[in-house]
Amino acid sequence: MRVLWLRLGLLAALLAVWEVAGRAANPLLAVPPSAVLPALRDLLLLRSYPELPASLWLTLREIGAAYMLAVAAGLGCGFVLGMHRLVGRVWGPMLAALYAVPAVVWYPSLMLFFGLDAASKIAFGFLLGFFPITLSVLAGVRQVNPQFVTVARAYGAGAVTVFRRVMLPSMLFTLVGGLRTGLALCVIGVIVGEILGSKAGIGALINHAYGLLRTADYVALVLVTLLLVVGSDVLASLLERRARQWTE
Amino acid sequence: MTAARGELIAIEGVTKRYLTSSGPVEALHDVSLSVGEGDFCTLIGPSGCGKSTLLGMLGGLVAPDEGRLLVDGQPVTTPDPRRVATVFQDAGLFPWRTALQNVEFGLELQGVPAARRRRTASELLGPLGLSGFAEKYPRELSGGMKQRVAIGRALAIDAKILLMDEPFGALDEQTRVLMGEWLLDIWRRTRKTVIFVTHSLHEALFLSTRVAVMTARPGRIKSILELSMEYPRSVESPEMAALRAKLWSEIREESLRAMR
Repeated sequence: MRVLWLRLGLLAALLAVWEVAGRAANPLLAVPPSAVLPALRDLLLLRSYPELPASLWLTLREIGAAYMLAVAAGLGCGFVLGMHRLVGRVWGPMLAALYAVPAVVWYPSLMLFFGLDAASKIAFGFLLGFFPITLSVLAGVRQVNPQFVTVARAYGAGAVTVFRRVMLPSMLFTLVGGLRTGLALCVIGVIVGEILGSKAGIGALINHAYGLLRTADYVALVLVTLLLVVGSDVLASLLERRARQWTE
Repeated sequence: MTAARGELIAIEGVTKRYLTSSGPVEALHDVSLSVGEGDFCTLIGPSGCGKSTLLGMLGGLVAPDEGRLLVDGQPVTTPDPRRVATVFQDAGLFPWRTALQNVEFGLELQGVPAARRRRTASELLGPLGLSGFAEKYPRELSGGMKQRVAIGRALAIDAKILLMDEPFGALDEQTRVLMGEWLLDIWRRTRKTVIFVTHSLHEALFLSTRVAVMTARPGRIKSILELSMEYPRSVESPEMAALRAKLWSEIREESLRAMR
């Protein structure tokens, strides 16, 4: 309870600072919250950007597609690399090196390959989400205590049972952490992709608003995006809880 | 002495080699041993003499390079929890399961319905001295308790044969002696056939019906002692003292060879 009040207090203080600083600054570059509110209202009432729902829906579908691909490929690669020692040792450093490269450098070529439409955003979201998932599986597989595998085998477990009863619970926290990070990065990848060059989606609207220096609209769009990101993380934490129940 | 009982386990000319970076190492060489039903057979010998490897083979976890192992007349090829249950050296309890759930593990893999396996496991906790600890996780249990949970997991599947790989090796001396007495009690009540690996002379003499002394690597059976004294045994009796001296002289010789 006390934490909640403190949080609300902090939020109010931040808004106050923003208001004061916003009023002092050039209105083309920064806007105070009092100017954002009407813009947010116009946005939500579909006055400023009537295409908002369609754009959001497109962005969500792109995120969904990117995430599904990243999870499938990440789990697949992670387990193959994790279970086969040799393959893992050959590819492991390469993956880590690729992960360390700022992914944005790939985006121009992704646009060349996949065009300006959804495909390049999905590809970019996938690229960002894929690595943390793969690396978390790799780390998770290494965490599995071989003694536990021996115990399970002694009690009659086959490969599938060992996987379900020993490997998954052993690596659950690492794996779920990777899946959460992967989702966050997929969201970022898709939205950044849209901002860098696209014809539709929430990123395209953001691009449009700040390109025309409609700063209040721009901030309102950012707030909507924030909601999207927070929402996806809440969803991920729900899945995390489900996963924990499932392994018990 | 043991001839009266039926033979349950036959180890016939088993050899095992491991490949290491410095070439192949022979862990066991032509080991033969026969264990009767209801026996408490202890394997004792210097470190690295292949005792654990032999146990792993009986459990179906390690395959021999030569020779064969028979349980109930059937060759051992894969783990068979219906006949053999194993207790490992460092308990190996799953940290994400409670004590009760750990005891249930083997039954769960055998597809025993939840209510029934819960009942079986709960009934075991009493004699294990874990009555109030069913819902505790391994990290909340002492070393001795963890090992009792591991033994409970092995007893729950009610296999004829219990393989125990230095089960009390990580415990302090006092706990170890008490656990030995407790195990003796369990063994006499359940009439399991136990193969018990240890480094402790005291455990070997106090618990076993027979003791197989193994040589330094490559492991072979050096000698077999039949112990026919009544339980509970007194370590102070002249008979025990003589046996202890004999056992020690054999093990000492091999341990010295192992140290070289």
